[in-house]
Amino acid sequence: MSQSHDHDGHGHGHGSRFIQHHYDDAQHQFDSGKLGIWLFLAQEILFFSALFVAYILYRSHRPEIYAYAHYYLDVKFGAINTAVLIASSLTAAWAVRCAQLGQRRGLILNLSLTLLCAFAFLGIKYVEYSHKIHEGILYGAKFDPCVSSGGSPLVTKRNHCDGTKSSVVWDKLAAKASEGCLESAKIDQDASTPGLQAKCVVTELRRNGAAFEPTGKTFDECAASALLGHGKAKDVKYPCYTLSLQPAVCPKGPAALVLYGDHTKRPDVGIKVECEPSPPAKEADPFAEAAGPAPLGTRALTGVEPPTKHELNERFAAGPPPPNTNMFFSIYFAMTGLHGIHVLAGVVVFLWLLFRAIRGDFTPDYFGPVDYAALYWHIVDLIWIFLFPLLYLIH
Amino acid sequence: MATNHETSGHEPNFYEVKRGLKSWLYTLDHKRIGLMYLWGILGSLLLGGAFALLVRIELFSPGQDIVGQDRYNQFFTLHGAVMVFLVIVPGIPAALGNMIMPIQLGAPDVAFPKLNLTSFYFWCIGATLLLVSIAMGAVDTGWTFYTPYSLQTPTAVLPAVMGVFVLGFSSIFTGLNFLVTVHKFRPQGMGWFQLPLNVWALYATAIMQILATPVLGITVLLLFVETFMKIGIFDPQLGGDPVLFQHFFWFYSHPAVYIMIIPGMGVISELMTTFSRKPVFGYRFIAYSSVSLALLSFLVWGHHMFVSGQSRLATMVFSALTFTVGIPSAIKVFNWTATLYKGDIRLKTPMLYALSFLLLFTIGGLTGLFLGILAVDVHLHDTYFVVAHFHYVMMGSTLVAFLGGLHYWWPKISGRMYPERLGQLCAVGVFFGFNLTFLPQFVMGSRGMPRRYWDYDPEFTIFHQLSTVGAFVLGISLFVVVCYTLWSAKNGPRATVNPWGATTLEWQAPTPPTLYNFETPPELHELYNYDDLEQVADVEWVRVSKPEGADAVAKSSADH
Ligand SMILES: [Cu+2]
Repeated sequence: MSQSHDHDGHGHGHGSRFIQHHYDDAQHQFDSGKLGIWLFLAQEILFFSALFVAYILYRSHRPEIYAYAHYYLDVKFGAINTAVLIASSLTAAWAVRCAQLGQRRGLILNLSLTLLCAFAFLGIKYVEYSHKIHEGILYGAKFDPCVSSGGSPLVTKRNHCDGTKSSVVWDKLAAKASEGCLESAKIDQDASTPGLQAKCVVTELRRNGAAFEPTGKTFDECAASALLGHGKAKDVKYPCYTLSLQPAVCPKGPAALVLYGDHTKRPDVGIKVECEPSPPAKEADPFAEAAGPAPLGTRALTGVEPPTKHELNERFAAGPPPPNTNMFFSIYFAMTGLHGIHVLAGVVVFLWLLFRAIRGDFTPDYFGPVDYAALYWHIVDLIWIFLFPLLYLIH
Repeated sequence: MATNHETSGHEPNFYEVKRGLKSWLYTLDHKRIGLMYLWGILGSLLLGGAFALLVRIELFSPGQDIVGQDRYNQFFTLHGAVMVFLVIVPGIPAALGNMIMPIQLGAPDVAFPKLNLTSFYFWCIGATLLLVSIAMGAVDTGWTFYTPYSLQTPTAVLPAVMGVFVLGFSSIFTGLNFLVTVHKFRPQGMGWFQLPLNVWALYATAIMQILATPVLGITVLLLFVETFMKIGIFDPQLGGDPVLFQHFFWFYSHPAVYIMIIPGMGVISELMTTFSRKPVFGYRFIAYSSVSLALLSFLVWGHHMFVSGQSRLATMVFSALTFTVGIPSAIKVFNWTATLYKGDIRLKTPMLYALSFLLLFTIGGLTGLFLGILAVDVHLHDTYFVVAHFHYVMMGSTLVAFLGGLHYWWPKISGRMYPERLGQLCAVGVFFGFNLTFLPQFVMGSRGMPRRYWDYDPEFTIFHQLSTVGAFVLGISLFVVVCYTLWSAKNGPRATVNPWGATTLEWQAPTPPTLYNFETPPELHELYNYDDLEQVADVEWVRVSKPEGADAVAKSSADH
């Protein structure tokens, strides 16, 4: 090959002006680029491989985390995104064909469609991510969903109060909090002490300041009735309550506490719950402290709108998330995040190709960049095709 | 640098084509990029060497000599990180390989010149980030960045880890470029078994650079994200697994040892045959052993983790696999020795380095087998025995091969000869300084001196002092080498087209080469056949008989 190189830097008979000097001809440049992009893709697969290994490892060690995690993921979104990406792979391949045949308009159209799909994918991903952020279903230490470790994943939430760590466990069937309804450092450190059982009843439900038909209902029934049918559906989707304990306003004396709750996203909705410890444990009596001026922490409780009875029961039956469910979401965000960055890079590449296609750079002699970008796009697609079942379709 | 040269004839050489700083910063010429790498790498070598000397001074006697414990931790970390990521990994492929490999193929450039420049700038960014981390108070984790300590230390892990990430991509791009170049830029008539062994070695290296380095990339990326986002994949408090980090890290870093050593082996193969005036013995075995080393290197990472809580089965499998690495390594050593046998050996500076390599690599390789034995490793793990072992391989072999290659190709690339006597003196200095530094470390390691310790029992004092003295002999020799290399670039005597009488194609290119390397397409002769070359001066050889046609070459050299 090198014998045929001419080294004067000018008069070689390359077809396109984009054929670089050190290549023999257009074919030589194209073949070199093709091998190069394949090697780059091999590198990409290895780059992702560590995350797949981490996935396999943690899943084999803690299958229950992965099984539980599907309560948090919406297969709909994943499935739509899979379809979108497969469609975009088709248009990318089609774009290559158009470039090979010198069909400039077809090339521009297909590149635009590919870009459109890429944006659709990113848009759906954005919706998914923002829901997760809203719900606190995040990676690692930031995994703090409204639904969290407690007797019922629906109504309780681990909460870090000032200086104390507490949890409220709501027993849905018994319509009472079974643990930790009372807030104080002492109690929360041992929330499972039998003497700390408490009955909680919703005593007031407010909307726009006006109270209505709450009494006697369980916490989450109230939550549902306060929100469903009254607001817009999208607001109802992820309700979170900030409840505060205020013994001073407790109508039944020092033996009871009242929880005032406010929906964090719907300031017009408030909820009031009364809890009565039964029986109050003497040595762990919180009111020795609570009666004093010591400020009580706030805790967040959650009511989650039950979209269907079936789903509610299913999730409820599953109980609280197993410890370290955060690990699933660490891997989920690492994998989908890295994949998303690759999609974003693909968008940049395709925008550049679109610009060049409009300028008329690509000819049947020179279409390498379209071919390479399409190959890259296929691998991004392929990685998603692995991610979708691994992350969304587990049970 | 070099002006118009009598042997370079009509075309301007690659220094003369364009001049000025900008012509270097924007260059796409593989030789210029290689040279810029070379200056960067030699500078980093001095920096890493300075940290090594500081460590050795501190260890001269028990207790504090010059710095406290924290500072000491930073010194050995920076020594390791700078030497591994900035010097030894890119040393031979990116600097020497860039300058020489395309010419050895008779090609005008690498396949992707822009990617080549990108990879150089990635190296610069990575080096800058490492310097930033030094400026921000350095790192004290050791070059391995083991979790969970690297997540807890208050030192500047973030820039260092990002630096390693960027350097990884620099290495991947170089490997990708070389692999495509070897596949697509061989001249007609040059089949796979007419490739110079240096090219084979760089090819094998490129495979590992492409397949292993991305795992390092994602690992340090996860570590980076872990540090400031707390994703918990390596953090046991959140349910993560710190040993997984070690697996990922060594999945790269064991092949990385071969990314460092195999290019060195390629250089040594060239030196052995050229300076023995004999065809290399067992060409195909050396070629295949490079590739098989590359493949085997992916299967043995667990031998770094015998005491990290791996399962017993995994440990035994990794131990057994580790021994298989000895086979291709030994094949090379035997073939080089057989090449020397009854050779007409010329003890020029490059050859002195090649002979040093043969000895030092043998010691480094054999002590590696000790460490592959489970029972022995439990005793020797994390002692100076390990330190001595990997310095014999990484420094005693790779760096020595780098220096040998540098002296060998320097006349071609700069157009000037280095001072031969001084070069020989320094080569001897490197050999003795190196052994004085690291032989005592084998002894004290086997007696239980742990690595990375700031203080030690008085019974180890004599070994540490020998080691420190050796380090200074070594350091001074290396410093002189860097100085006279710089000096000779302008002031050395002019080099001829073929000063060593070698047969590979770069010795047909003008000295220094023209922009696209050759004025006339090179003629293919039988590889490593020295019969037609005649010495006309101390450093000048010419081909006497009429060159054979390319067809005859293809037949005859296929027998190797
Ligand atoms: Cu190893």
